[in-house]
Amino acid sequence: MSKPTGRWRGLKSLVQDAVVQASHAIEEVQKRTAGRPFAVLTHIPPIAEAARGVQVIHDAAVAGVHGTIRLVTRVVGKTLDVALDVIEPRGENEDDPKP
Amino acid sequence: MGKKLELAIGVLNGAIGDYLARTGNGLATPMELIHAGAPLALTRAAILAAHPRSHAAGRVVVLVHGVMCTESIWDFPEGGDYGAFLERDLGYTPLYVRYNSGLPIAENGAALARLLQTLVEVYPVPLEEILLLGYSMGGLVTRSACHVAAQSGLTWLARVRRAIYVGTPHRGAPLERYGRVLARLLHSIDDPYTQLFGQIGDMRSDGVKDLGDADLRHEDRARRRARIALRDPEHPVPLLPGIRHYLVAGAISAEPWLVALFGDSIVPVASATNGILPLPQDHVHILPGVTHVGLAHHAGAYERMRAWFMEVLP
Repeated sequence: MSKPTGRWRGLKSLVQDAVVQASHAIEEVQKRTAGRPFAVLTHIPPIAEAARGVQVIHDAAVAGVHGTIRLVTRVVGKTLDVALDVIEPRGENEDDPKP
Repeated sequence: MGKKLELAIGVLNGAIGDYLARTGNGLATPMELIHAGAPLALTRAAILAAHPRSHAAGRVVVLVHGVMCTESIWDFPEGGDYGAFLERDLGYTPLYVRYNSGLPIAENGAALARLLQTLVEVYPVPLEEILLLGYSMGGLVTRSACHVAAQSGLTWLARVRRAIYVGTPHRGAPLERYGRVLARLLHSIDDPYTQLFGQIGDMRSDGVKDLGDADLRHEDRARRRARIALRDPEHPVPLLPGIRHYLVAGAISAEPWLVALFGDSIVPVASATNGILPLPQDHVHILPGVTHVGLAHHAGAYERMRAWFMEVLP
């Protein structure tokens, strides 16, 4: 059985992993879904170039939003790690060498 | 709160325990013995402290729970459990195993084999008998442990004379096989949303996936990846012939057509009563009107077990 702080760290890591992986998956779905109409539009010569440009902007915006979500998640995760380090009484850490 | 929290973590381990273990997550449950809700160290002193009378009899019953639960699944609503009753009636010292049921069955089997070997070495008195009692996936884990012990020549196996399997899907669980087919179907559709749902379906743990065909060895898991099958597989690892095996199955109803369709609601009767080794008819017991979860704490099942274990072995 893990120590309570080990479990809190585990819960924190689990939520963090879930947000990061869900963000990657949703980003991929959004790009692929939007890619279909863009694929049609880029086959129409008069608007092909404009459509490609819009797709690049769209994909960059999607990547930016999800990148920000992942960055904030990681920053919050690191902050919680520090908080747990402070909470965890010294000497109870499993990694600490025993005297 | 403690039991509920441990149960919640047990459910989480069953669902994604392989991922938790792979990423070193603190929520991953190690395989260990549990006594009164706390881990029981595998030392002579700890066992003597937990079971002061264990020196009286060199007989233990090792209870192995199923997928997505903990040892609390054994608890009868009115108190007691199979282990406590076997101690009261027949003098077996009960030892409850808790483990990460999301890991491959082969991995848990190997861990249980090591745990039992250590147990034999540190037990306060020479162990005469180890009685294995596995519920659902726990039965497959005990079978896998016996297979490992037979292959590796571990000495504890010689002390196992009887094993009982309660609601164990010896021939696999069709629900998991349907889920496997559905996930592949979703992946095969060229649509980002259906493929996302396919990915979510694939997140279920290795332990759950192993239940589909009751894969006891790593090589069985590798073989499974190459094919999709909805029918019961012929199991390549039969029950060990040197042990007396007893099988308990549930059935949601006494109506034959309902039983044929739903079994105990999760495990078909045909899977729970067929260990791919011809067994005497009286070594198989079916309880009509008992669901899968109910099998883990049922007075009728215990009465049958007690009758079996009162038989004098040659």
